Amino acid sequence: MGEEALFSEEDLKDEIIRVMKVLYNRGLVSALGGNVSARIPGSSEIWITPSGVFKGDLHPEDLIKIDLEGNVIEGYLRPSVEWPMHTIIYKKRPDVNAVIHAHNPITTGLALAGVELKPITVEAVLTLRRVPIVPFAYPGTDELAKVVAEHIEGVRALVLQNHGVVAVGYNLVEAEAVVETLEEVALTQLTAFIASGGKEPPVIPEKDRELASRLYGLK
Amino acid sequence: MTTWFGYVGKLLRIDLAREKHTIEELSEDDVKLFLGGIGLAAKIVFNEVDPRIDPFDEDNKLVFMTGPLTGTLVPGASRTVVAAKSPLTLAWGESHFGGFWGPELKRAGYDGVIIEGKAKTPVYIFIHNENVEIRDAEHLWGLFTGDTEEKIRKEVGDEKTRVACIGPAGENLVRYAAILSDERVAGRTGMGAVMGSKNLKAIAVRGTGSIRIKEARQLRRNVARLYPMIMSYPPNQILSAYGTNGEMLSFYEYGDTPIKNFTMGTWEGIKRIEGKAIVSKYLKSHKACFACPVGCWKIVRIDEGKYAGTEGRAPEYETAGALGAMLLNDDPETLIYLEKLCNDYGIDTISAGVTLAWAMEIYERGLITKEDTGGIEIKWGDPETIVKLIEMIGRREGFGNVLAEGTRLASNIIGKGTEKYAMHVKGLEVPMHDPRAFKGMGLQYATSNRGACHLQGTFFRIEQGERIPDLKIYRRVYRFELKDKGWMVAVVEDWHEVLESLGLCKFVQIYPGHVAGFYSLTTGIVKRVGDLQKDGERIFNLKRVFNVIAGVSRKDDILPERFLKEPLKDGGAKGQIVELEPMLKEYYSYRKWNENGIPTEEKLEELGILDMVKQRCSQLGVKLYQ
Repeated sequence: MGEEALFSEEDLKDEIIRVMKVLYNRGLVSALGGNVSARIPGSSEIWITPSGVFKGDLHPEDLIKIDLEGNVIEGYLRPSVEWPMHTIIYKKRPDVNAVIHAHNPITTGLALAGVELKPITVEAVLTLRRVPIVPFAYPGTDELAKVVAEHIEGVRALVLQNHGVVAVGYNLVEAEAVVETLEEVALTQLTAFIASGGKEPPVIPEKDRELASRLYGLK
Repeated sequence: MTTWFGYVGKLLRIDLAREKHTIEELSEDDVKLFLGGIGLAAKIVFNEVDPRIDPFDEDNKLVFMTGPLTGTLVPGASRTVVAAKSPLTLAWGESHFGGFWGPELKRAGYDGVIIEGKAKTPVYIFIHNENVEIRDAEHLWGLFTGDTEEKIRKEVGDEKTRVACIGPAGENLVRYAAILSDERVAGRTGMGAVMGSKNLKAIAVRGTGSIRIKEARQLRRNVARLYPMIMSYPPNQILSAYGTNGEMLSFYEYGDTPIKNFTMGTWEGIKRIEGKAIVSKYLKSHKACFACPVGCWKIVRIDEGKYAGTEGRAPEYETAGALGAMLLNDDPETLIYLEKLCNDYGIDTISAGVTLAWAMEIYERGLITKEDTGGIEIKWGDPETIVKLIEMIGRREGFGNVLAEGTRLASNIIGKGTEKYAMHVKGLEVPMHDPRAFKGMGLQYATSNRGACHLQGTFFRIEQGERIPDLKIYRRVYRFELKDKGWMVAVVEDWHEVLESLGLCKFVQIYPGHVAGFYSLTTGIVKRVGDLQKDGERIFNLKRVFNVIAGVSRKDDILPERFLKEPLKDGGAKGQIVELEPMLKEYYSYRKWNENGIPTEEKLEELGILDMVKQRCSQLGVKLYQ
């Protein structure tokens, strides 16, 4: 049985809404910031959250189906302005079926302070691996899409300078897990930094992260 | 029979000469091609009015049209358009107004009203649901607009009646006379004069029906969740606090607000007439049009001094520019009074101010003297003279009779090289955005079908750094650069045809993607942004063809020489001129217009209106391509 039959589009839409709710309740997407999309299995079309409406109360009928060129196929709201970033990731990464752009405050804040996430937990090593920080480009522009495309190869997440984070996954749960882990690691690292009076935190020993380091270029 | 959603599905046609009315079914085909509002009005005027006639001929028709969203809860859905051949531009004429009249007309059961012929004596029309009466208006003739509205409401015995009417300026065929309703003004291109030429004082409307919405629940929910975004848009916050004139200081910084007939770049007086200064001192209350969360409508009152007791709408940005900065008039109280006076008479403040600025400049240059003006000394910045001249224009008295013709015709009458100082495009006076500060605005002025129009695109927003990804305007363009302005202006012009067709206010700022959704949910007719954009392009081109038949061609897609050759000496646009040609070239190429500015057959075919255009040209015995 193919994947197309396992997941209906309605299931996919329900899943996007579920993820948005979780992220909203955790403060990782806000009233007007953050967006989620998922590829319809076996097609070149995606469902994406709307732009410009309050994000705390989304429903499946609010989602918009677009093709990878941004043409609206179904739905009555305006697709997220970040659709060029989402579609370029799908084009570039056939392994990716879900993209989340969230506004993780602590992750973004650390990036603004010039602090990189360190391998302080096993999740940081295995789930996040390497998280490049992408220079600022204005939201919704093809410039942002281009700069994301340049960095998205071989990674699960990016931090967008002055903006937020992007996480990708084979499915929505994976992308969701990456977004949540990012914030968890960032918060832990920040806590260590404050509590220690600004000392470098101890990290997972190199021997325990050797495989991840070799595979993913983790420092 | 079609079940309509959003649309009411009926048009009211009133023949004033025969004193008869008929009700027509809205055509599904017309809706598919022309949407509603200005699109539908354009189709009717194109097919029924000979573009070559005298605008005051009784064969000119005056079309009032709402859009499918007018009267719904979509933010800013208050608008009504009025179209006819313009007595000011002698070509395509249109004007738009908000308030409550359009929603009321739809509740009465009509999408639009087509006025034909000329009444023998002054009349007004009272539409009360299915009852349509043509009533005597001899006793109203000569009254100011506000008094007219009040009197008609009393006469029909229903305070909820909405009245669109003209003042003395419309009766006296002032070529830039306006139509007013609840202080909202359809100001431009002299639609009030066309109404006056038909002996029609007012159209009063009362309706008790409702507008059917296809997907009401989803529409309501989408609208509710859009509000945080609408009110996050910076200009909306300014408009909400201080009205349109709240942006004056910002525009001034760009060198955008015209001063002394577009000859100065800086002026101290600006601080006294900008919105915050006026509203902070004189505000009485806030008002808003139907379904508007922004509420740029401020009511001000003067309690002391010469104009004590004056109360009304605060001067809009355009009024404060045209009757303030353009004339070096920095007296806020006179401005408040002038806004009221122009509204009373039913005069477009933009055309009035620009015409007065022309008169002041030619007087200063000695091209006219007291002999021409009937003994009046016309000096810059003299509030009393401005007030006096506005009254004379409204009554067409003395020199006011010349000024009532607008800058183009008045400068033709005076001659002596005064044409050079007449700031108009295609006869329509240039509004309060100097194209040397925003060069794309120059192209917009040069190409808009009704002449120098600031609302055919509000392109200055793009030049202030706004992107519209929904319309594929991704790149931030700078105000002085020329590249890409040609196609971008065309795209934005087409989109604004859509907004005027759906009944949406341009100041509320809803992104195109949302507009498409609102249209689809309201009407049940699914259209995407690209579909609507194509409709907008069709409407724009149809008006262009109307203009071509009226005699407009590339020679008219120009700007006053001042913008092309005279840089300002100081201010935010110092040293700049408008390099129109390269932008125009790109624009024509994008539009697929030929070298004379006529839409090519290929383009008309692509838009699905070639047969319609050919048929009409054949009826009129004209050839589009010589």
